[in-house]
Amino acid sequence: MLEIPGRVRPYLRRAYSVADAEPSSGEVEFLVKTIGPGTAALENLAEGSEARLLGPLGNAFRTDGLSEGARVAIVAGGIGAAPFPLLLKALATRSIVADFYLGGRSAREIALASRFVGLTAGKMILTTDDGSAGEKGFVTGAFARRAADGGYARAYACGPMPMFAALAPIVAGLGLAAEFSTEAAMGCGFGACLGCVLPGANNTYIVSCTTGPILAPEVVRW
Amino acid sequence: MVSAPESLGSGALQVRLGPLTLKNPILTASGTFGYGLEFTDFVDLSRLGGLCTKGLSLQPHAGNSPPRICETPAGMLNAIGLQNVGAAVFIEEKLPRLRQLGATVIANVWGDVEEDYVAVVEALEKAEGLAAIELNISCPNVARGGMLFGNSPSATASLVRRVRAATRRPLIVKLSPNAPDLIESARAARETGADVLSLVNTFVGMAIDPETARPRLSFGTGGLSGPAIRPLAVRMVYQVARALPDTPLMGIGGIEGLTDVLEFLAAGAWAVQVGTANFKDPGVSQRIVDELEAYCSARGRSVASLIGRALSSGTAAADAGAEG
Repeated sequence: MLEIPGRVRPYLRRAYSVADAEPSSGEVEFLVKTIGPGTAALENLAEGSEARLLGPLGNAFRTDGLSEGARVAIVAGGIGAAPFPLLLKALATRSIVADFYLGGRSAREIALASRFVGLTAGKMILTTDDGSAGEKGFVTGAFARRAADGGYARAYACGPMPMFAALAPIVAGLGLAAEFSTEAAMGCGFGACLGCVLPGANNTYIVSCTTGPILAPEVVRW
Repeated sequence: MVSAPESLGSGALQVRLGPLTLKNPILTASGTFGYGLEFTDFVDLSRLGGLCTKGLSLQPHAGNSPPRICETPAGMLNAIGLQNVGAAVFIEEKLPRLRQLGATVIANVWGDVEEDYVAVVEALEKAEGLAAIELNISCPNVARGGMLFGNSPSATASLVRRVRAATRRPLIVKLSPNAPDLIESARAARETGADVLSLVNTFVGMAIDPETARPRLSFGTGGLSGPAIRPLAVRMVYQVARALPDTPLMGIGGIEGLTDVLEFLAAGAWAVQVGTANFKDPGVSQRIVDELEAYCSARGRSVASLIGRALSSGTAAADAGAEG
């Protein structure tokens, strides 16, 4: 009795942000947290194994409209840090300083912080819900306490839905332009299945994979 | 001696389903192929036998709240809820581009009540460039309409009769595998004017998060699709083909490659629709056309000669099912 594992699970592809890419060497980096059969199958891939990639799909963080020397905030929850290495590199080439806020439930959930050391000339602010590392509390709270005096020209965020729901009114209150990289289970990634929608204005739904996944907080009903 | 491969021109893949002639028997299933235009990076739409659009209603429809999809073993559950741009936007914005690309377009339509179906069919009737209408009487993910028409032979008959009167185009009726008596539903659709029957739509299923003990889909239940349903779909095509000989059938259910197509053709399908596989591999439909072309060429066979080969090998179980 032989088994080829993973033949029926996962069935669909999985959507990930590109964490970093090096065009000259052709390398693409993904930061993946194992949470189910799809991510487990990726984690268990042997080095040198082949994977199939469809992409890039969807939109990207925008850095236009920021002047040289501007200051921005990045707010990440747990594995929501995944899309930011590439953004930080893009910001650094234009001498834009980013304060990097990373929060999680415990020290283990913010272990990714080490991936970001040296990527920004700004501050790195770590939080945990249980206080096992960094400041105790939510990352949105840490951001809110500093943002009023932060002089930020823009905020970028990625994390779980409750984090966005907490963050949206904070940036709105500050009048701060923001881009949220949203997460939704995606069936196809290119606008065919309509499975990955987020509630938008006027009882319509936003197709996350093609309109987003990066959206202005004011267009989504969190 | 079998006919020589060189005698098989491009017509070897052609199939005639009553009034509907298709260049090959590979179509894409409604709800899995958007409006076709989402796939132009991956598929030359003119190579497909046809594409069935996302289900169209007269007015734009927002669909169900998320979460709408959930992966399952060898497939997925969906409860999209027929989100669509509406017939007018389809006609003005999507259809002209599809025609430019040489696509054979089949408009899938749905409504809450009979009048809705008739209204959208009438709106489409004025548009040029549609090969056929596919009537969705089998969507399990809306509170009204959809599957409710497909689950009752008398409701099916009443609706198909009215829609038949509203269109001169070939009429396909997409059957529900959830119908209490599939063969009676098929017969009702056929006798009231369906030129072609397509089967099957998704099976009503459910997935529950064991942590929260709540359904994984906001709608509660959803439609199961993918290879998980293929044997069920093959059995249903086989049963309908035996019960209603000479009725053109389109087989649908978990098709991912040539062998699956051959299986459905043998079971009595005259053509097939590729569905959920489009999500994981957007180029799969055209690749299946290539595979089928190579197969027919190598064997010197036409597609028509591959249809219904399993039907003569009847089984007691299938016959019992065919009697309903």
